[in-house]
Amino acid sequence: MLTKVTRSSALTLAISYVALGVVALGLFALPLWYAWEVTIEDGRIQLIREDVQRFTEVFERRGDLGLAEFIEQRVSLQIAGERILLLTDPAFRPMAGNLPAWPREVTSGSGVYGTATLDLAGQATRVGLVRTVLPGGYNLLVGRDLSRLSPLTTRFWEGLGVSVTVLIGVGLFGGWLVRRAVLSGIDHVSRSVTAIVHGDLSHRLPFGADGGEFDTLSITINRMFDQIEQLVHGVRNVSNSIAHDLRTPLAELRSRLEEIVVTRPPPEETFDEVAAAVEDVDRVIGIFNALLRLAEIDAGARRSGFVEVNPAELAARAAEFYRPAAEIKGIALDFADQAGAAAISGDPLLLSQAVSNLIDNAVKFTPANGHIRVEAAVLSDHTVEISVGDDGPGVPDEEKQRVIERFYRGDASRGGTPGVGLGLTLVSAIARLHGGRLDLADNHPGLKARMILGGEAVSLS
Amino acid sequence: MKVLLVEDNERVSRFVVKGLREAGHAVDHVENGRDGLFHAASETYDAIVMDRMLPGQIDGLGIIETLRSSGNRTPILILSALSSVDERIKGLRSGGDDYLTKPFAFGELLARLDALVRRTQGEDHGATHLAVGDLQMDLRSRKVARGSRAITLQPREFQLLEYLMRHVGQVVTRTMLLENVWDYHFDPQTNIIDVHISNLRQKIENPGETPLVKTVRGAGYMMTAE
Repeated sequence: MLTKVTRSSALTLAISYVALGVVALGLFALPLWYAWEVTIEDGRIQLIREDVQRFTEVFERRGDLGLAEFIEQRVSLQIAGERILLLTDPAFRPMAGNLPAWPREVTSGSGVYGTATLDLAGQATRVGLVRTVLPGGYNLLVGRDLSRLSPLTTRFWEGLGVSVTVLIGVGLFGGWLVRRAVLSGIDHVSRSVTAIVHGDLSHRLPFGADGGEFDTLSITINRMFDQIEQLVHGVRNVSNSIAHDLRTPLAELRSRLEEIVVTRPPPEETFDEVAAAVEDVDRVIGIFNALLRLAEIDAGARRSGFVEVNPAELAARAAEFYRPAAEIKGIALDFADQAGAAAISGDPLLLSQAVSNLIDNAVKFTPANGHIRVEAAVLSDHTVEISVGDDGPGVPDEEKQRVIERFYRGDASRGGTPGVGLGLTLVSAIARLHGGRLDLADNHPGLKARMILGGEAVSLS
Repeated sequence: MKVLLVEDNERVSRFVVKGLREAGHAVDHVENGRDGLFHAASETYDAIVMDRMLPGQIDGLGIIETLRSSGNRTPILILSALSSVDERIKGLRSGGDDYLTKPFAFGELLARLDALVRRTQGEDHGATHLAVGDLQMDLRSRKVARGSRAITLQPREFQLLEYLMRHVGQVVTRTMLLENVWDYHFDPQTNIIDVHISNLRQKIENPGETPLVKTVRGAGYMMTAE
């Protein structure tokens, strides 16, 4: 299908180019031909007029018989037909010249140039003529055979014809070459893509360094594959993680309930177990809620609810909300306002949740006597930043990207902390929704999570 | 109080009806939209608990819109499995007074229903002074005192205490506090609310004084004078 479409489009392209070339040639030849015709004709008229002038002078000097004699002399020296000469008396009876009789076609007035087709030596010939009425009513006809120059015209058109033929030939050949080159390029890409689609998604199209169109295409397609691979990988990961994360609380729930059924404990104990079972269910619900919220944000549906938000105020509120919890752990939680009254367009609810998640994380991972610093700052005309820095164990560089992925939970060093492993994913999604990103930096020591909000979604006022 | 429950899920209905009756309320239960609209329009209830997706030609939001356009002001709590923020806004815009997402804890439903009914049964929002036992709150000068002892509160602590005092004798859940005091409509996972309440308690309940804020197990908190 692809090949067929390309073939026809490559051919159409070649034909269009050839047609364009022909039209251009025509546009070039036509004025040339016209100018040439006009020049030749002007020259011819000029010559005829000069002849007329000369004959008129002879007539004035030597009278009608003198002119007749002069004309006879000229005619006998000439090749018949090249120049048409005829002198008649007022009654149009021929006196001298190379025409047997006054041609009936010639009725124009004196001194007017005209053309006519005359029968010369049994051949119809196209001629240019000037009739002159001499004093005493004598008629003088001077003309030239036009067909003498027609081979030139013919050759001109022949030449043009050859040019057009060559042009069409070269054009089609070139079109065929281009088509072959394009087809081979497309075939190449198409074959590689098919191979990748049917085989290993991690393969990529090869491309050269010269940055030609096909290299650009290959690079673009590669980028698309990167995205697809990441998505496929992500979906696979998420399914695995959901299954795994849900299995743990569900397994606990199941054993709890089964134990009640089997052991039939006294009512008080049963109620405690059931209450614990409800907590297990709440954990499952929590995971689902987080996933739904994430899906909602990823779909970008929330952008319709954007209003003007003051990031500093929002961060200050979140910091204040968590301060008592931090203090219980012996952690100092400060807020530094570097953003003042800067406002962005955003979803206050989601942004609050994002900042809360960051602070919540920091409180969880910062040891006693640690410090957490929440900061709001203006980065540029179109970007603000809300950052949460702690002096906890931090995140190793190689894990920074992975902690943002769904369901990732820091392993050994961060220990078995509560949560569903979606917190940073949610923050990242919320930052993206606001035209920004989540950046995890080293706080020397500890982690500094920077939520950068910017781009078109943001307008500072 | 008299409550109408419009809910088609049998298990959820049984659970809610039983719980509400145990809490001393009269409950009418219907299972589809048509009957729901009929009951809501023809009888007088103190509150309606309305599921959103219902069989019987008209859904929950349709019933609410119809009731509101005919001038019926009965407080309505919407119950729904549709949990997204936009759905919640849609529910409240249609004329519902509160929105509770399924699955829910019964304590949450009861507490919200109580709060709804109190709110509409002529609460004096114009009051400038609140009192619970010997705890006094002046809303104008924003001063709080327990007996003769003046208490200094942070602005947010003041709001928290005000909310509790306005709902004296009622259970308020953690979610209600989150939504109404902090305007946070998400679950912060950690039990931060408990910490805030504990801090507030330390300020308003000195040793030897009667505790005012009680913890209601499995539900939330309640402010009482006894």
